[in-house]
Amino acid sequence: MRRTKLLQVEGFTSFLSSLMAIAAGLLVGLIILLISNSKDAIPAFVTILKGGFEDGAKGIGQVIYFAIPIIMTGLSVGFAFKTGLFNIGASGQFTCGAFVAIYIGIKWTFVPPEIHWLVALIGAMIAGAVWGSGPGLLKAFFNVNEVITSIMMNYIGMYLVNMTIVKTVYDSLKNQTKPVLKSAILPKAGLDKLFNTSNVNIGIIIVILAVAIIYIILQKTTFGYELKACGINKEASRYAGINEKKSIILSMVIAGALSGLGGGLLYLSGSGKYLHVLDVLAPEGFSGISVALLGMSHPIGIFLSGLFIAHLEVGGFNIQLYNFVPEIIDMIVAVIIYCGAFALLFKQIMIGIIRKPVVEIAADSLNTVQTNPQITASTEYPAADEVIIDTEENETEQREEL
Amino acid sequence: MEYVIEMNNITKIFGNFKALDDVTFKVKKGEVHALLGENGAGKSTLMSVLFGLYQAEKGNIIINGKPVKINNPNDANNLNIGMVHQHFKLVHNFTVLESIILGRETVNMGILKKDDARKKVMDLSERYKLKINPDAYISDITVGMQQRVEILKMLYSDSDILIFDEPTAVLTPQEIEELMKIMKELVKEGKSIVFISHKLNEIKEVADRCTILRKGKYIGTVNVDTTTKEQMSEMMVGRKINFNIEKKDIKAGEAILQVKNLVIKTKNSKKNVVNDVSFEVRKGEILCIAGIDGNGQSELIYGITGLIPINEGQILFNGKDITKESIRKKSIDGLAHIPEDRHKHGLILDFDLKENSVLQTYFEPKFQNKGFIKFNAVREYAKKLIKQYDIRSPKNEDSVVRNMSGGNQQKLIVARELDRNPDIVLAVQPTRGLDIGATEYIHKQLVVQRDQGKAVLLVSLELDEVMDVSDRILVIYEGEIVGDLNPKEITVKELGLYMAGSKRSDEYEKN
Amino acid sequence: MNTVYFIAQQTMYFAIPLLIVALGGMFSERSGIVNIALEGIMVVGAFAGIGFINIFQKTMSGQSLLLLAVLVAAAAGALFSLFHAFAAVNLKADQTISGTALNMFAPAFAVYTARMIQGVQQIQFKDTFYISKVPFFGDIPVIGPILFRNSYMTTYIGLAIALISYFVINHTRFGLRLRACGEHPQAADSVGINVYRIRYAGVIISGILAGIGGLTFVIPTSTNFNATVAGYGFLAIAVLIFGQWRTKKIFFAAFFFGIMKTFASAYSGIPFLKSLPISNEIYKMIPYIATLIVLTFSSKNSQAPRAEGIPYDKGSR
Repeated sequence: MRRTKLLQVEGFTSFLSSLMAIAAGLLVGLIILLISNSKDAIPAFVTILKGGFEDGAKGIGQVIYFAIPIIMTGLSVGFAFKTGLFNIGASGQFTCGAFVAIYIGIKWTFVPPEIHWLVALIGAMIAGAVWGSGPGLLKAFFNVNEVITSIMMNYIGMYLVNMTIVKTVYDSLKNQTKPVLKSAILPKAGLDKLFNTSNVNIGIIIVILAVAIIYIILQKTTFGYELKACGINKEASRYAGINEKKSIILSMVIAGALSGLGGGLLYLSGSGKYLHVLDVLAPEGFSGISVALLGMSHPIGIFLSGLFIAHLEVGGFNIQLYNFVPEIIDMIVAVIIYCGAFALLFKQIMIGIIRKPVVEIAADSLNTVQTNPQITASTEYPAADEVIIDTEENETEQREEL
Repeated sequence: MEYVIEMNNITKIFGNFKALDDVTFKVKKGEVHALLGENGAGKSTLMSVLFGLYQAEKGNIIINGKPVKINNPNDANNLNIGMVHQHFKLVHNFTVLESIILGRETVNMGILKKDDARKKVMDLSERYKLKINPDAYISDITVGMQQRVEILKMLYSDSDILIFDEPTAVLTPQEIEELMKIMKELVKEGKSIVFISHKLNEIKEVADRCTILRKGKYIGTVNVDTTTKEQMSEMMVGRKINFNIEKKDIKAGEAILQVKNLVIKTKNSKKNVVNDVSFEVRKGEILCIAGIDGNGQSELIYGITGLIPINEGQILFNGKDITKESIRKKSIDGLAHIPEDRHKHGLILDFDLKENSVLQTYFEPKFQNKGFIKFNAVREYAKKLIKQYDIRSPKNEDSVVRNMSGGNQQKLIVARELDRNPDIVLAVQPTRGLDIGATEYIHKQLVVQRDQGKAVLLVSLELDEVMDVSDRILVIYEGEIVGDLNPKEITVKELGLYMAGSKRSDEYEKN
Repeated sequence: MNTVYFIAQQTMYFAIPLLIVALGGMFSERSGIVNIALEGIMVVGAFAGIGFINIFQKTMSGQSLLLLAVLVAAAAGALFSLFHAFAAVNLKADQTISGTALNMFAPAFAVYTARMIQGVQQIQFKDTFYISKVPFFGDIPVIGPILFRNSYMTTYIGLAIALISYFVINHTRFGLRLRACGEHPQAADSVGINVYRIRYAGVIISGILAGIGGLTFVIPTSTNFNATVAGYGFLAIAVLIFGQWRTKKIFFAAFFFGIMKTFASAYSGIPFLKSLPISNEIYKMIPYIATLIVLTFSSKNSQAPRAEGIPYDKGSR
């Protein structure tokens, strides 16, 4: 039997289409810059591209600082995606986690100082987990669309946290939370010297750990197998005896915990960040969506795209020097996401398989010699990088691909 | 006699695959012309070309003596060609009237004017004896009426050439007879009919001529009156078919599955979709539940396996009450299920072959340790199944299942379920959509189970399969068992009467 | 009694935008395209409309300025929605992702453009559109104070939109074909209907209505536009789902939510409520909690268009 194999590495084509989306986003950004102020546009664009490298080690430290919370929310959204759920509620989970971390950081003076920060982080995770469980439970038991419930939970969470801050840890002069105790601030472990900025701490190590754990869960465990199965095909998972209610709920709980942890990591970094009592949803939650989509919901991809988007954000901060508005970064990222929505199409354009869905041939009999090429019927395109034609000796036609 | 349709030298290619290879097809005016072939032979593709859904790479079409180009269904409609599709194209929450006029609405400045349309529809309904209720919702009417709506759609747009794509798949024997009468009526009024099928009995009954396709190639056109079923089937598959299945002469043992007074209601119906059903399946027997699609057999199996909840009744398996057990537990205890819908239930299409092979068993100690998957063990197992059951796929155990053909997907499911050495196999339409070769293979596997003393509960819509494979037949009609029959002692016609609810065994008389 | 009138009038300010946007969502979804970008389109519409008012209010004022602004908002919304239509129909992209991208882009764009042009992100406008009493109609007992006093032109535009929408969806050829595309596009295609074109129309209509809705949201409740519509676009989707994709039910749902919102922001004007020890935040939460409760009980028998969210591919059978 002869075989024709196509682009083998599945990750490669995904990576390429992410790159194309990024290029498209950056191009649009450049155009907007040019339209606004053509004189300073190019230098500003270069500043954006340089991102954290503009300021050497300190700049890189800034990138890490920005990346930490959005990698966590990215993991949160991405993990939920893998299991078939759109966790648009990362903002609310993030905020709840942040608040609980701050509260423990200020009020729980009875905790031994060496582990104060750890207890606060754990509290943040639990808060996020609880907040994430809401949409999970509603979806599992009442089949309510998790997009809408998550959005509602975002707002409810925001109002709830605002209300509670005022009653407990409020700095009324500045309309924000009070500073946390020193023992609750994350240890720096020398990283602040390395990157020449006090904003870096062991948070990055925790993030890397989280990425690794999520990767292992998804790829190596039976739990991950069940979650992925539920995400792809709920009915078949039921057929196989998998408890999809349990999977949906656990998935949202884990996703919530990840976002909550992100909130804790950001607000315990001692960088002068405080929770403001404003009716504004945490933007880190929405950045998480971009990170997850750009990273193709893969833990490693999310790690890299979180760093990349943080890199852009630092660049965006820096272009204020040229009197540009940093919101342009949000626009660039939005365009990247938009292009990412048809990443599948990019993939197929690249591989040259734009063909109309093919007819199902059940032409495989045991005894006969002549078999037609076996192609699946599908209302969607087959996995672009894996279409292989299994041919018998008599078949002369061969599919010619990249 | 002039030809109303001429399709000459049609070649249709999808990517690199020739669905139609130089096919010529001619239909005379006023005849019923059958298009015969196995699944995948190209019949539907050929008619889709005629109807404008696809465009052929080579060849030409001549309608009523004039060469034409048919680029979309609108062109086909303008040439008065109409098609009743195998899967009805009806909107579930439209009324019958709205469904018929969709696309050809009478309007006044954009506003729908239904009265004129209603008159025309009712006139057609009377003329061709197609009974319908114009204000009923599509979701509420019977399949037979839905088909009549599809036919009226064609007549409403003045079709003269009517294409029927596998129209009898969903009809009772009585409705099939009615359809045959309707077709004869239409032909009397001057219409020409193309009738796609793979069912020889029906072709024999209603068609004048028959064209046979095999694997995209034109094999021949015959006069139905003067050709035997055996001759036609040989042209269809290219070899002689052994219509008989060899089974050992075995006496069935004790009951392994007992269903008692099962009642299942669906979400919003007042009727019981499974209504007080009791039966048992014995070791060493193939028990077949026969019936027209939609009479409760799907729900019955889903209820037994646990995919839908049971309202009343009891299920005993190996003497143990499993009525409230989880799906997982039933599976572990020895109940295997080859599901009706292989894409919806049987497989996770985006997983690969090896991941699907352990779908029911991934949690067993041989495939995982403390929650971590033993990938080597999974791979070896998948390889074993591939070898044993001859499953063909692009990358063997690493193939993404979506890229496998339907037949091989089904073989994978069968392999996975049977290899677990279950005590009973519930096989629901296991050969649907498969061609003769794959069908033969799966029948053989089921018989092997039976010969080994296991039990098989088969659900089938194909009368041939029901008669040839089973040891005992239970007929289900409107959620009730109406007959317990021995295939050796009844005829297909009788079976049809039971299936249509026209006959009931004495012990199943309605109270 | 005055309290009742007050509540009714305030409810209009909140309900009408919800109504308009939810109806827009209905057209899109019933044609088969899921549109969660309503929030972003509202922002774009409001930005364009308020921006227009801001620029021209030196030379124009009153109802004519408002009417023109409505047209500008509609056009802006329609244009912006084309991105979603293109991604969903031509590229068969994931509609939730495309919608999310638009939602991210719109506020950033509004802030960026406002700050680049006028230095600050808030766009101010003078409210010359307030109608204290419609002559003649405002004097009708009961109905007068409720509908025709302390109102805006946009209220009446919204009600007109509701009536027109009902008529179009249920009694026109376009409406019938649109519904077919959302429930069973293969059926529509097989009788020669251009599914792609109808779906474009559905999305563009949702763009027009969401754009108008964005403007309608800002005008009665504020004197500036601050690049946000406070989650109204998402609330509108909840209204759509609660209303089971049907005009009449959407109408009631919009007013139900409007009343909830009214309690949340105007409770200080209601003597009875003011005296209760319920903090402001709780009131703000009520509409969202109410949505959750409502959705929990209505999701079981969903009448969502069956083919929504699934890209239509002509070749598939």
